[in-house]
Amino acid sequence: MCELFAMSAGQNYTAQDYLPVFADKSRANISGWGIGFFRGGQVHIEKSCEGIYAGDQVHDSFQRLARVVDSRIIISHIRCPKAGHQKESLAQPLSDHFLDHHWLFNLTGDSPKAAGYQSRRPIMGEELLAARVFEFIRDGMEAQLQDWPNLSLYQALAVTCKKLITDYPGEYIFFLANETVLFAFLNSAQVLIYHPPEAQGESLVLTTVSGGLTRDPDHWRAYPNPDRSRGQILIISGADLLYQGHL
Amino acid sequence: MCDLFALCAAHSHCAATSLPLFAARGRRNMHGWGIGFFRQSLPVVEKSGDRVFRDGQLHGSFQRLARVVSSPIILAHIRYKSSGKVDECHAHPFTLDFWGQSWIFAHNGEAGAIEPYQSRHLPLLSAGSDSARTFEFLRDYFADAAPRRPHTPFLQILQEALIELIRQYPGEYNFLLSNGGFIWAFTNHRQFLLLKGSQKLEEALLLTTIAEGLSPENWQQISRQEGTWGKILLIAGGDLVLAEDLLPPAAAAGEFSGRDLPAGLS
Repeated sequence: MCELFAMSAGQNYTAQDYLPVFADKSRANISGWGIGFFRGGQVHIEKSCEGIYAGDQVHDSFQRLARVVDSRIIISHIRCPKAGHQKESLAQPLSDHFLDHHWLFNLTGDSPKAAGYQSRRPIMGEELLAARVFEFIRDGMEAQLQDWPNLSLYQALAVTCKKLITDYPGEYIFFLANETVLFAFLNSAQVLIYHPPEAQGESLVLTTVSGGLTRDPDHWRAYPNPDRSRGQILIISGADLLYQGHL
Repeated sequence: MCDLFALCAAHSHCAATSLPLFAARGRRNMHGWGIGFFRQSLPVVEKSGDRVFRDGQLHGSFQRLARVVSSPIILAHIRYKSSGKVDECHAHPFTLDFWGQSWIFAHNGEAGAIEPYQSRHLPLLSAGSDSARTFEFLRDYFADAAPRRPHTPFLQILQEALIELIRQYPGEYNFLLSNGGFIWAFTNHRQFLLLKGSQKLEEALLLTTIAEGLSPENWQQISRQEGTWGKILLIAGGDLVLAEDLLPPAAAAGEFSGRDLPAGLS
């Protein structure tokens, strides 16, 4: 299974304490990686189709990026061989501009039907589940807010996610972020959240990696979602989990 | 009745057009004004006990600040005294720290019941008003709930705090609370008016209590729904991210039921 990482902070922050561990614990995923972040209102993504591990070392570029990239929101993805892709352009995160924001998106999951979703505005032509789900979420949120401009972003996302798991049953975990707010959706498995005790009020780390990314797994709080037909959405901004909504 | 104003955008914005309109349309509030914003996560508040509008003129400092202040989040308050003295100290916004962050708070409403409230935490606000005590009450609740952070969602703690506030100190509450990253807005009496993507004012999200809004555009009216204890808004990055009802105690929370959605969507 691919693995997801996100970090949200009240101000620009590096994920150098977590990204290398994220890579280490995901070393079985040898099919590519990506790091996305925001700078000056723009999205930046660095990605590779190379394995996250080369020999016994974390990929050199990944290591350096982990030290250098600083942003209020950082998202990373490590691709599993099961994804069946080798091209760099198909590595995640993905990005698009809609609803007046640049957005970053990464996904892990499985839904054979969702791969058949056809958007009027495809992000890319290639077959990629993450792209189809991202398109579905974007199209759905745009349609909701066009028809009902007074909806909140959460309401638009919740209605769209409900439709996603109804129309295209499957297992989904995704992170969707603009430069201020990070949404996490899951209808299977779990997301782990960590608030570094040494950085009071500074940052929040999320991952799908079992056991978390620090030596003490007890510091991580699991947000499981055992029922595939009823997902949940977490809203994070700065160093706080602001809301947990069950669909 | 006082009036509230907020601007929220993904990037720094001036409120050079909307703030003077806010002051002009709120001119009946004659007991002071204040503007709050953040510079590198630290709150900056400029306020005064003077009238914001006198002899057909906007207060000179207010006017200049409106032109100069640039921040992703700007809050403003124009005061009509219902509690406390008329001076700079009693003008809003106020600032206090909790959860390792600095917060700006501006309030509108009458809540005489909370005036005797004695905070268990320091520092205390020097103003002797219902608004100052309300902010201290919220600060205290969050300070006591700090061990539950961050795994208990902020909104859940805010809802608990508001239920306790209204239960122990019944009154009219309508406030803005921001840490520079996002704004929480709450009302259990007056309505908020919200506008995004204005063609006549700033392109940011604008929120106010001024009944007619600040421009002849399609302002969204947001108010407490019948049977609820109030409406809570989360605003960030220039968007209305979340709009939740404050449900009476014992009602389910955190469940997406579509009850807030327009007919046909739920």
